[in-house]
Amino acid sequence: MARMMASERAEIESAAALWLERMRGPVQDSAVAARFDAWIAEDPRHVESYARMASLWQSEGLALAACATRAGNDNGGEHEDAEGGPRARAYRRWFGLVAGLASLAAAVPLAQGLFAPTHTYEAPWGTTREIALSDGSHIQLSGGSRLSVRLTPWSREADLEKGEAFFDVAHEALRGFAVEAEGARVEVLGTAFDIDVLAGGRREVRVYRGLVEVAGASGTWRLPAGTGLILDGAHVRSLEGIGGDRPGWLDGWFDAQDTRLDRLVERLNRTSRIPVVLDDPQLGELRVTGRFEMDSPQEIVETLAAIHDLSWSREEGRYRIGRP
Amino acid sequence: MPRPDALQIARDGDSPGTDWTMVQSRLIGYLRARGARADLAEDIAQETVLRLIAISRTKEIGSVFALGFRIADNLLVDQHRAESRYADAGEGGEGEEGQWQTTAPSLDRVLDSRRAIEVFQRCLNRMPALRREVLVRRRLRNESCRAIGEDLALSGKAVEKHITRGLVDLRRAMEKAGIDPAGWHE
Repeated sequence: MARMMASERAEIESAAALWLERMRGPVQDSAVAARFDAWIAEDPRHVESYARMASLWQSEGLALAACATRAGNDNGGEHEDAEGGPRARAYRRWFGLVAGLASLAAAVPLAQGLFAPTHTYEAPWGTTREIALSDGSHIQLSGGSRLSVRLTPWSREADLEKGEAFFDVAHEALRGFAVEAEGARVEVLGTAFDIDVLAGGRREVRVYRGLVEVAGASGTWRLPAGTGLILDGAHVRSLEGIGGDRPGWLDGWFDAQDTRLDRLVERLNRTSRIPVVLDDPQLGELRVTGRFEMDSPQEIVETLAAIHDLSWSREEGRYRIGRP
Repeated sequence: MPRPDALQIARDGDSPGTDWTMVQSRLIGYLRARGARADLAEDIAQETVLRLIAISRTKEIGSVFALGFRIADNLLVDQHRAESRYADAGEGGEGEEGQWQTTAPSLDRVLDSRRAIEVFQRCLNRMPALRREVLVRRRLRNESCRAIGEDLALSGKAVEKHITRGLVDLRRAMEKAGIDPAGWHE
């Protein structure tokens, strides 16, 4: 092939970038889909440019650079990396935000604390329950979850026995807010965060606002907004680049990233009115990546079957996924 | 058992409007550009086409390529995981070095290297502040174009433009630095 003109190349790259952006959403209308297919079919260079753009956009490297850029910019624009990398700077910034702000503690009769009852909340499968606590905090409880809460004049304690909950905690200077989740303790310093207790004792914490301290069997971590942590037995993995101001499941989305099929099904069953079952537990080990809309379980079941070449059926009020 | 040839299967009147041979060759191109080895790219493209044909028999596919890329990505990740398991299982088998070279992340690894991060960062820092802000929000927080537009007083079109220009800038920076050059002259 003759060398390409620079202008032609620029045109292909721009088109690839635009298509990548347009095709990121889950549902495209059929006219757009047809145009995309035609563009890919038109020239082998199109698909190559598109694939490279996709790799670049999804790379961890870009996310890390963006994180660092963000932290740097908030401190006044472009500068060379001083001591303490971008992460350290981000932490310092969050500490600055969390410090201070002494609010007035309400005068509560002391006796009340002695009899402070423990309230237990449950959300049935297929529903999400909203809980407003007397301190002004809000909790969204995902289907199939159980949470107990006890507020006393000097402490706020919650215990997430199973499932997932998103906490939007009212800031108080004198009363911390702590959540127990299967032996991990999450101490809050006035924030919004999500805890997910999954089968097999795996716990995931994601922070959307403020700063959170997580104490597990193997150590203590401080997590600023936009980060998270997975505790899985003895393994600890940090999560980066958590976006938005609330977890996707509240809006009916689940972002799978190399997620086990049984975890995805577990999540799906929290909100799906029709349960999904795997014929063979071994299928649970398959991995899935992609963004799924949780309120269309049948579409997800179809997609999973397509991705992993499985069969599915709907019988006796449930979806079954099995080997063909 | 030899695998059936996807393209032969497709000949008995499946989706008469779809040129499966072309689809398969585009999928190979896609996988190669994603860093898959040639033999693996061919296997996965073949498998993907088989699945696309099976799906197209029962339902209307919106975009053959959007679904095809998604299936191919998943197969590539599966394959990579299987190969790294083999690599882990090898009892100190240094003699076989390279035999189980990981495939999927070969490109990802390049793009996640310290040097790549530096190049990304320099490129982001040189961009106009608004474009950088849009890109970072889209990539880190996954905000929708509409939300970004409302926040920064931009139209949806303008946000889209910032994202695509930013992406092209980043690709150029990678090329200039010699990381992941495109194979435009094949």
